[in-house]
Amino acid sequence: MTLLQWKPAYTLGIPSVDHEHRALIRMINEVYRQMAESSNPEIIEAGLEDIYAGIAAHFALEERHMRKAGYEEYAAHKDEHEELLDQIREMMDAFAEDPESGRRRLQENLADWFTKHFATFDARLHDRLGDHH
Amino acid sequence: MLDLVQTVGRRLLAPVRWMLERAFGSELNPLKHLGALTIYFLWIVVVSGIWLFIFFETSIVGAYESVEYLTHEQWYLGGVMRSLHRYASDAAIITLALHMYHEFVYDRHRGMRWFSWLTGVPLLWVIIPLGITGYWMVWDRLGWYVALVSAEMMDWLPIFSESMARNFLSADALSNRFFTLMAFLHLIGLPLFLVFGIWLHVLRISGPRINPPRALMAASLITMTALSFIFPAVSQGEVDMSTVPASLGLDWFYLLVYPLAEIWSPGWVWGLLVGTSLLLCALPWIPPLRDVPVAVVDLDNCNGCGRCADDCPFSAITMMPRSDGLAYESEAVVDPSLCVSCGLCMGSCPTATPFRRHSELIPGIDMPQLSAASLRATIMKKSEQLEGTERVMVFGCRGNEDWKRSKAALGGSDTAAVDLICVGQLPPPFVDFVLSRDLADGVVLAGCPGGDCQYRLGAEWTALRMARERDPQLRKRVDSSRLALAWDERWPANKGLAAVVNTLRQSLGGGSESPRQKTDGRRLSKPARWALLTLAYAAFLAPVAVFSVWPRFGLLDDGEAMVSLSFSYDGQRIGECRQLTQEELQKLPPNMRKPIDCPRERMPVRVLFTADGRPLYEATLQPTGLWGDGSANVYQRLTLSAGQTELFIGLNERGEAEGFDHTLRQVVDLAPGQHVVVEYDERDEAFVLRLE
Repeated sequence: MTLLQWKPAYTLGIPSVDHEHRALIRMINEVYRQMAESSNPEIIEAGLEDIYAGIAAHFALEERHMRKAGYEEYAAHKDEHEELLDQIREMMDAFAEDPESGRRRLQENLADWFTKHFATFDARLHDRLGDHH
Repeated sequence: MLDLVQTVGRRLLAPVRWMLERAFGSELNPLKHLGALTIYFLWIVVVSGIWLFIFFETSIVGAYESVEYLTHEQWYLGGVMRSLHRYASDAAIITLALHMYHEFVYDRHRGMRWFSWLTGVPLLWVIIPLGITGYWMVWDRLGWYVALVSAEMMDWLPIFSESMARNFLSADALSNRFFTLMAFLHLIGLPLFLVFGIWLHVLRISGPRINPPRALMAASLITMTALSFIFPAVSQGEVDMSTVPASLGLDWFYLLVYPLAEIWSPGWVWGLLVGTSLLLCALPWIPPLRDVPVAVVDLDNCNGCGRCADDCPFSAITMMPRSDGLAYESEAVVDPSLCVSCGLCMGSCPTATPFRRHSELIPGIDMPQLSAASLRATIMKKSEQLEGTERVMVFGCRGNEDWKRSKAALGGSDTAAVDLICVGQLPPPFVDFVLSRDLADGVVLAGCPGGDCQYRLGAEWTALRMARERDPQLRKRVDSSRLALAWDERWPANKGLAAVVNTLRQSLGGGSESPRQKTDGRRLSKPARWALLTLAYAAFLAPVAVFSVWPRFGLLDDGEAMVSLSFSYDGQRIGECRQLTQEELQKLPPNMRKPIDCPRERMPVRVLFTADGRPLYEATLQPTGLWGDGSANVYQRLTLSAGQTELFIGLNERGEAEGFDHTLRQVVDLAPGQHVVVEYDERDEAFVLRLE
């Protein structure tokens, strides 16, 4: 089941950020696919950990672009990033502690968690940066 | 050898550090701001100097009088400015010397940091002459002495054929033009070099600290101003070249070599100065720092976020256009000639997370000699050896000697010590990893004592990252009460780290107090701290005040007078002029047919000077000039006992050992401190004694 779909509307106009958005969507979808197919929690955990590293780096890059553009909502967006990283860490720990309930929690939250940020914060960033690119 | 010298140097500094740490606290510890303090003192010198210049007159009489006016008539402002000008200059020398000492004993002058060291040395050759020309310009008796000896030093150099020192032996030899030169050097020439030199000095430092913390700026300005009111800088009497002061109050910070020039010949003094400077310049390579592998970028894990470039203390990382065709704009590129291999970049890299257990742990930027993967492996291994319910994992900077000693003393099966290159190398997710994966119950990060990071910014960045004020931030979900930062000053008992670990352990065992505050628990009481602060400023300013005039340097002993021999004499030509024959003339080109051919070279000149028959000066002087056709210069300062004395000077213009062509014999009654100049009057072709 493919949960996330890249939409042209997500395009920020910064090639690297858009590239990473697509890659992250692929990674999240991959984790979902594994959750559906495999019962080996290690593979899912590995996927989550890679997402965490990928998202941490991605946020760092996005923040760099926001600072460079003098984005006025930088502080709020940055807080959201930190919050999201805390949340994914929560999911990782929950999964590590108890793969069964962790898996349920992931299935409910992961995609939602990502798209929500996309739809709100990144969309605003798009509006702001769209003119420049 | 170097290691021993540096270790002894650090031990000597340790009690000072400890005291300053207690008095000022870690942030304000002046030892961490020595370079910036030096620059700040130079700013005080600039500002006070501008005020002095407004009232200063660049003429022989005007110079002294205008400074006297400032000092006495306008004591409340001009006088204070003058004193500040002097004391800030002297303070700058102290901080500058300490700065060099500090960087040297902590081995911060070698390897990739050679550039800052090497560009610092010539600054000495700008700052010291600035002080010298400053004292010169006041044109009091000290100014005269400084001018005289400086000129003697310059005369030794094969630059001028005429003696420069001669200008300072009699009042009518000196012109106001000389002050124009001094003013140019002191006000424009040297300061220009200084500004350029400082710029070069900090060129390779990322975010160099040009200004010390405000509290230090304010406190040192206030205390120095107070000192200026209590001990105002004063002149040492109007210049009178017919007498010599028995002693002068020398500013030993700038004029240290002048007494040496009295004992040694200028050549030796120059040799000492140049030799010392060359040795200083060569220090980064005696011996050179062995090559350490520099940070390595892994493009597969680098998306060009730029955090490493932001955090690099030596601007060794630049963000360059992407080279691998991926859709990223930039990538980190390490300049191996600037990288000091501290690992702060690894600590800043968002991909350096130890949670990546199933894919290979390669961060975007990694340290080959202590990689993120090997660090995680060490943590896992050490964690397995930990026992108990209050297990603490301590991270420290492996090059630091305090860490080496402290970690050996930690012991116990519930404490593990992990080496880092620099505490700033530890990416915050590693702390999250250790605590959330139950690898330990508490984490202590032990940086260099006093936060005086070997790599400039490691302690600072770490503190900010752990306080979630700088990227990458420690995750909010990590319980900060399980984390303690320890860059406490650990002298003398070296027990600080164990104390921090124990405090953390107590709080793990149910205490609610944050261990980060508890590490500061050994703070002094307020009165004790103020007493220490006062002591620190006194210990800093007392030498400034004292050594700017004391100990006095004695030019003459009691009952002595000075005689200067100062003249030039054209020795005889080496041969007679000769009439050329017609044949010889025919051979020459038409425009060069001069009928008389005179050899240009001159013979040496022999001079003998005696007092009561006792020879005090005897020399055979060669002619000057490239062709040996210039005059022979005689310049010598001599001291002799006061009282009635028969002086004799004789000169042989062929350099012969026997007989004199010109002589003067005169009985004089020398008063103590009198200055007599023996000159040769070319018009009268006779020696004269100038007895004012």
